[in-house]
Amino acid sequence: MSAQPELVSVTVDGREIQVPKGTGMIETAAAAGVEIPVFCYEPRLGPPIGACRMCLCEVEGMPKLQAACTLTAQEGMALKTAQTSPKAAEGQHAMLEFILLNHPLDCPDCDKGGECPLQDLTFRFGPGNTRMQFPKRTFDKPVPISPLIALDRERCILCYRCTRFSENVSEDGQLVAVNRGAQSLIATFEDEPYRAHFSGNVLELCPVGALTSTTYRFRARPWEIQNVPTVCGLCPVGCNVWATTREGRVARVLSRNHPEVHEGWLCDKGRFAHDHLAAPDRIRAPLLRVRRRGFEEVSPERALDEAARGLREADGPVVVAFSGAETVEQADALARIAVAGAGGWSALLPDDWDPSLEAFRAPLSDIRDADVCLVLGDHPVEERAPIVDLWLRAARRGGAEVITVGPSGSVRAAPGSAAPTCAALRAGKGLPRELRETSRALRQAKRIALVWSEDDPTGGGHVGALADELRGRAKADVAVYALPRTPNGRGVAAAWHAGGGVVAGELPEEIGALVVAGDEAAHDPRVLELAGRARFVLAFAMFQSEVTSWSHVVLPATSYLEREGTFVNLEGRHQRLRRAVVPAGPDELELLAGLGERLGVQLDPWAAPSAEGQARLAPPHEFAWSRPDPQPPTARSAAPGLELVRYRPLFSGAAVERVPQLQFQRPAPEIELAHEDAVTRGIANEETVVVTSNGTSKELRARISRRLRAGVVRVAEEHARGLEDHVQVTK
Amino acid sequence: MALRELLLEHADARDLTRLSEYEAVGGYASLRKAVGMERQAVLDELLAANVRGRGGAGFPMGRKASFLPQPGDTPNPIYLVANADESEPGTFKDREIMLRIPHMFVEGVVIAGYTIGASYAFIYLRGEYLTEFEVLTAALEEARKARLVGKDVLGSGWGLTVVVHRGAGAYICGEETALLDSLEGRRGQPRTKPPFPAISGLYASPTLINNVETLATVPKILELGGARYAQLGVENSAGTRVFSLSGNVVRGGNYELEMGTTLRELVHDIGGGIPDGRELKAIIPGGSSVPVLSADEVDTPLDFDAMAEAGTMLGSGGVIVIDDRCCMVQLGLRVAQFYMHESCGKCTPCREGTRWMVQLLRRIEDGEASQGELDVLLNACDRILGNCLCPLGDAAAMPVASYVAKFREEYQRHIDEGGCPFGGESSLDRVLAPVDQHHGRVRGEIEVPTHA
Amino acid sequence: MAELYDEIQAVAAQYPSRRSAVMPALRLAQERHGGWLPAEAFREVAEALELTPAYCQAVASFYDMYHLEPVGRHMVEICTNVSCALVGAQQVLEAFERELEVSAGETTADGEVTLRTVECAGGCGWGTVVAVDHRYREPVRPEDVPGIVKELRGA
Ligand SMILES: Cc1cc2nc3c(=O)[nH]c(=O)nc-3n(C[C@H](O)[C@H](O)[C@H](O)COP(=O)(O)O)c2cc1C
Ligand code: SF4
Ligand code: FES
Repeated sequence: MSAQPELVSVTVDGREIQVPKGTGMIETAAAAGVEIPVFCYEPRLGPPIGACRMCLCEVEGMPKLQAACTLTAQEGMALKTAQTSPKAAEGQHAMLEFILLNHPLDCPDCDKGGECPLQDLTFRFGPGNTRMQFPKRTFDKPVPISPLIALDRERCILCYRCTRFSENVSEDGQLVAVNRGAQSLIATFEDEPYRAHFSGNVLELCPVGALTSTTYRFRARPWEIQNVPTVCGLCPVGCNVWATTREGRVARVLSRNHPEVHEGWLCDKGRFAHDHLAAPDRIRAPLLRVRRRGFEEVSPERALDEAARGLREADGPVVVAFSGAETVEQADALARIAVAGAGGWSALLPDDWDPSLEAFRAPLSDIRDADVCLVLGDHPVEERAPIVDLWLRAARRGGAEVITVGPSGSVRAAPGSAAPTCAALRAGKGLPRELRETSRALRQAKRIALVWSEDDPTGGGHVGALADELRGRAKADVAVYALPRTPNGRGVAAAWHAGGGVVAGELPEEIGALVVAGDEAAHDPRVLELAGRARFVLAFAMFQSEVTSWSHVVLPATSYLEREGTFVNLEGRHQRLRRAVVPAGPDELELLAGLGERLGVQLDPWAAPSAEGQARLAPPHEFAWSRPDPQPPTARSAAPGLELVRYRPLFSGAAVERVPQLQFQRPAPEIELAHEDAVTRGIANEETVVVTSNGTSKELRARISRRLRAGVVRVAEEHARGLEDHVQVTK
Repeated sequence: MALRELLLEHADARDLTRLSEYEAVGGYASLRKAVGMERQAVLDELLAANVRGRGGAGFPMGRKASFLPQPGDTPNPIYLVANADESEPGTFKDREIMLRIPHMFVEGVVIAGYTIGASYAFIYLRGEYLTEFEVLTAALEEARKARLVGKDVLGSGWGLTVVVHRGAGAYICGEETALLDSLEGRRGQPRTKPPFPAISGLYASPTLINNVETLATVPKILELGGARYAQLGVENSAGTRVFSLSGNVVRGGNYELEMGTTLRELVHDIGGGIPDGRELKAIIPGGSSVPVLSADEVDTPLDFDAMAEAGTMLGSGGVIVIDDRCCMVQLGLRVAQFYMHESCGKCTPCREGTRWMVQLLRRIEDGEASQGELDVLLNACDRILGNCLCPLGDAAAMPVASYVAKFREEYQRHIDEGGCPFGGESSLDRVLAPVDQHHGRVRGEIEVPTHA
Repeated sequence: MAELYDEIQAVAAQYPSRRSAVMPALRLAQERHGGWLPAEAFREVAEALELTPAYCQAVASFYDMYHLEPVGRHMVEICTNVSCALVGAQQVLEAFERELEVSAGETTADGEVTLRTVECAGGCGWGTVVAVDHRYREPVRPEDVPGIVKELRGA
């Protein structure tokens, strides 16, 4: 990007305006205060296609009307829109008439009614006069193209926004236009469901009521709703959203474009998982374990007294198991409560953070502008921080070299290679052949983006060290994006350390009390094991789990849509959660304050973190632990059989499990198998195979991949339970 | 007789599909000459020849070639694309060239490739042309063996890889930017211009696109020299063209004529006139997408300017002769059906407008149209004209509007008499567009599949 | 016989970008699947070119020469565009419909012959043009039709 863009002056409907040369004409006109109607134009979908022709304008010196969306500002250009040019107005009427030739006039019972660009334009720029006493195109309507999305082809105006999203943004290549000319229509392959991480975005892209949400259809009318600006709390990206609420319930989630974070895209988890708030099995009142008779609902006061007593009397250390979904304020409060308790304390943190990474902090949008992106780790980026995958694709489309080092990467590395690869690239010499190209690319790059998608105890120390090296040697500007496992894992870690908490290196044998903070922790097998060892267990949870059944006191927890507070996303960006709806049970924050009070800790978890609180969070130096020197871990044990890689699917967890329409997005019981390994075993794609590792054996469907490294198999966590690191696969 | 064979010279006497035969009449001498010249010098000859494109638009070839950046000035490779998608109704000249003088076409491709410094040339060949594909690939193979094509052409150190890419049945892929998308493995839909292919074409690289006949002319230009070539024909229409003559005429076929020859000479002297003692009613001079000429305009010369004056175009040189048995409403309906069937579906006015035109024309032909509807039809054409993403919409609107303009009373009679005055005797009676293969569509009508 | 996958790789190697090979790949797949493209064919082409089946179907459905429904062993295609129509394409079509006892767009009961009408085939001067198994017959008159059909039945 050039430093100072040259300014040119353009006149739009007689108004002169100065804009940078090459600015799109739609934006230029807008800057001049003139709105040009568009349907197909949407800059986030790539170059303009000039298909709908709604933006026809007159340009001085050009005989024909021009599609304004395809023009860019040039010095002296004079544009006349429908507002001042009769010719342009006639052109616009013509386009509206053509569109309405086949568009049903069913606005009253259309979900888009009231927020439909076509409806607005027909009112404002019509008359799309009615000279068409002809049969309109007819289709079955609406047809579900997935459990989440319904398509009404009669309403489709073929602006190709949805298909361009599928082809050029998410690159899932599943939603396409088939046939030609007047026969063209939007479809999926053989009517299979549109199953992709980002499918829901087409709902917001569709300018008419052709694509509507099955979870929102007919739920509310635009004038009955309220939109609350907040942040998605389901992954470490932290997309900005509007929570549309109606009668105290979240009816839908729409995106609120933050150009540096997510460019307005949302994944389907963030968009559709909100229905779990209203799940019937949600814990609404405090529960107290009573001898033999299991649990009984008690008043908050009673529950808090019991909880406080349990913590006070716990002889032995207090351990807090975090979910990484707590706000910074919650984590801070829990830290202080733990510290106040007797007998030492420690925590189980889902994520940790190496302060050295702070030096390589950059907005996610910088990935798009990098010329080399290096992705390291065994965990698929799109499963852990989906939006990051979109930025990487944007970078590739922009000509960047995107190198992925992993079991199915462009460099097909063995599992666990991320750290050794960093070390090797730092050393620079004695590189294995497959890394030489990578090393060369990194040395020549001017702008480098490093993405770390690995669980490691050093909190990204390895990639931090590589970044140091590259910046020092190659004089490149380097950005590092280490992907935490959990939405606010980074903020929680910071708060805990700031609060003076220590991290459990070795967890104590004897545990006085265990505090389970939220459902993620409650579903973690390690926590279950701790619960078995703790004398007293206090759990905050939205839903029942094995861990809650082990607890002595269970306090109802809240979701990110029900809280005020601060999240720190993977960039280190502090974002504010706003309460969209009030929680079903007693307020979690009040409960925390009450607990603190009983333990003599002054807490105000509602307050936005005070200046000094923020400072304590501000890395790096206040961090309470030292940067570990990244030693490449010793490679995994070489045992016979295929090496199993587990991954945590995006569509998993307590929230997803409670939204019926999202079930189809969860990974099928499949095992991803390298083509070579399938051939040697005579296994065909989609064939059922038996997977065994000493003792346990299960049946899974084979998914054969030509990208996966030979000798490696990949299975989603939830289908890999009981399997060890090496497995046998047979027909 | 005004036949003037330049390209097709010797083609009757000898089997010019064979390299030896072609070389025996001086074949590939122009290429030898060219690779010995500076690239700019070759371009100068093309500019001097003032040869205009034979594909339809008639843009001067030399000028177009000069828009491309110099090989040194662009990081991307430079591509040459030969447009052999010939699909304009009434046009079948490129086929004749590829079947009978394939080597001349290949020679033209290689010279053009040399001129712009390309290392890759694609020939986008109409999918239906199977025999043509075989003849062309055989000729290319011969040329390759003789080091006339491929790595290191004639030891010049410069090489050109030529790939024949077969289409699969889509008229729109003849439009240059749609062709490029198709060649890139997409649905063949036109792109917005600018950027023009010369700057950003195939794989976003500088690309020169020319028609088969245009390229086949190049060797002759180098043989004669640009200046002498420019003498042929008339002003602004230099050289000869292979005209395709079809319809109600005794001797249909391809005839190479100097431009400026009149339609009368082509239709009556060369083509043997109208059969069965019928009367000439109308002539479509440049493929079905151009406005029609009435019988009394038969003396119009076949050159760009004269046709423009007559309010029509030379287009692709497909001359369709229509006698007095033809109902002009049926003609309009059939032509509109073709363009509706071939509309790519990307832009609104073409996709919706062509379909509406067919509906209106069907009502007029069936005598169901009410008085105002003839003007609705004209207005629909008018609303398509100039408003589409590519010229296909115009290709449907222009001719139909001209039929109404020149034969208005015949259209009016359909409405007044509540039916076709030909009463089933028209030569086009009952002729309808192809059944849509993809959805077993009812002939001529649109019935869109339910896709539940 | 070489694997379709490998054949496609060979074709793809001709192009600077693999995606460009989708049309020839679909053509190869169609030949292997009896002249049309079932769902399986799209999956095979998609895998070979690292595209999606939906993408391949979107491309195929745009072009008239890829068949999305089964076709006969033989293909008879009659041009019914203007030039051919002016000289009797409709009568030729009707002759074929009589002889084959199907109407345009259909395949004979025995699955032998598919009858299609097509747009301008590019032989206008010698109309009516009929492509029999993709080889042009120019011109064809109604009286030639029985012979052609006999020939097909015999073949
Ligand atoms: C709808 C449409 C169809 C076309 N079909 C063809 C064609 O079949 N063959 C061709 O050479 N040009 C065709 N053209 C013209 C091409 O776009 C392009 O102008 C031409 O190939 C350039 O070559 P030339 O300059 O040598 O004529 C078509 C244009 C349009 C708008
Ligand atoms: S479904 Fe919507 S977005 Fe897609 S083409 Fe139709 S109108 Fe456009
Ligand atoms: S009209 Fe029949 S081949 Fe052209």
